[in-house]
This record gives sequence, C-alpha cells and structure tokens, in this order.
Amino acid sequence: MPDLTLTASPPLDGYHKQFGDTALTEIGDQALVSIAVPLGGADALDSAMTGAYGTTFPAPGSTALSKDGSVRFLGLQPDQCFALFELAGNDPVEAIANVLGDTGYYTDQSDSWAMLRLSGPLAVSALERICPLGLAPAAFPQGSVARTAMEHLGVIILCENEDSYVLMSARSSAPSFLHAVETSVENVS
Amino acid sequence: MIINHPLLGPRDAAEFVYLGDASLIDRPDWQSDTAADDFYEYQYLRDNPAGETRELWFHEQGDRSWLVVTRNTLTHEITKVELARDVALAAGRDR
Repeated sequence: MPDLTLTASPPLDGYHKQFGDTALTEIGDQALVSIAVPLGGADALDSAMTGAYGTTFPAPGSTALSKDGSVRFLGLQPDQCFALFELAGNDPVEAIANVLGDTGYYTDQSDSWAMLRLSGPLAVSALERICPLGLAPAAFPQGSVARTAMEHLGVIILCENEDSYVLMSARSSAPSFLHAVETSVENVS
Repeated sequence: MIINHPLLGPRDAAEFVYLGDASLIDRPDWQSDTAADDFYEYQYLRDNPAGETRELWFHEQGDRSWLVVTRNTLTHEITKVELARDVALAAGRDR
C-alpha cells in the first residue's frame, strides 16, 4: 500500500487581511476539545483539573488559563467547557484525556470551527455592528467568553484584550461568517 | 425583548427559542393507572391566561440552557427567569 500523507486545509484557506492597523486573520494552529461533566462528577473533574492544570472548571462566561499558559478553558455553559490549545498531532482528545483521565467526556471540536482573530483599533467598532453583546471592558473584560449569534450565525467570542478578539463559527458556514466580519470591518475603515 | 439570563445577564430574545408552557417539565408517570388521561392532558390541554404565564425557553444561540420564564401576556413584562434545572430539582426531580 502506498504511503499517503493527507494535508489538512484550513476552513478559510489561511485568510489574512490588513485594514490599516487592524488585522483579520484566520487561526489555524489551535485545537478545540469540549469537556463535559459526567452526571454527579463535577467535583472529581474539578479536582483533576486543579491537580493537572492548576485551575478550576470555568463558570459560563469566564475563561481559565492553565498554570503553564498552554491551555485556555472557555466556560460556555453549565457542565461544559472547551479547551483551546496549540494543535500537535492528529488526536487532540488524547492530549486532554491523558491528563484528566475519565473524569470528563471529551469531544474533538477542532475541525468543526473556523477561528478568526480580529485585532487592532477598528476591532470594537466593527464588532459592535454585528455582535449583540456589549463589548465595553466593564461588561466584557479581558478573558471573557460568550456564545451568541452574529448575522444569524452562531459565534463564540473571546476577548484577548481590549482590541483583540477571537471569533469562532461553524466550519460549514465559515465563508459566510468571514464575509459578515470582513464587510463590517470594511464599513468602519 | 430582553431575557435576563440567570447566569449570563441580559440577552436578546433572538438568541432563544420558545418551547411551550413550563408544565411540560412535569411529565406524568407512565406506569400510573390514569397514564392515558394524564398524558392526554400533558400533551394537549393548556390554559390560555391573560396575565402571568410560565414558559420554557431554550438558549440555543448561547449556553444551551433551558429556562423557565415568567412573563405577563398583557404587559409583556418578564418578572422572573430561572434555570429549568433548578426548577425541576426544587420540584423533587432527581436531575
């Protein structure tokens, strides 16, 4: 049998565009794994996370960074969070399961989401036209995360700092989502 | 319309979908002698109040939680929003 190597292609073909000092860039090197709490197993998972990552299970709306800074946990709903970390190899679930064991239920989400980073002085004014949530630092400070809808598409928005946001949307509608964000940035440029 | 989510704060109603009356939480016992009547009532019979009503809403474009929203059909005022899980646990359900 011939030795075949498959090359992964990112959902948005590695998109990058500058709008003055504001950049819209696809993030292609991150893995995303959902961690769900087994019924009645919240405390066990919490202590496994504390032991391995030095952080507790994040509440919805907040994020937690592992003590070595390599994994960011996004609190998206009660009893579930997403782990975001640098992709290495083909099995992101293994990277989490090796550490947390069977204290949680894990699902690889990496290929299901298109990720964009919008950063620069126009980021907030572009987002406030399509994002129904208030992004003022008082309401949505650094490290906040939320799941919402922009242009009718489900989006996870993560605040890295006051003018840098990570946006994730479904891979199947990624070009439409990119179009929405790109158009909004163009409209405020 | 804004729904004041108990965990996430005020969110636009466009993020939610409506299911129906909150009595849907109280699924009848299928082993009861009156199960047929109970399920008929559970499935089909609804009050249509002019005033306060309790409804189930699902935060689909958000944290995927089920909420019990107490709303006034005359004034559209929302007086109370609870997690359906808390309501079910308080009513004696095991989860």
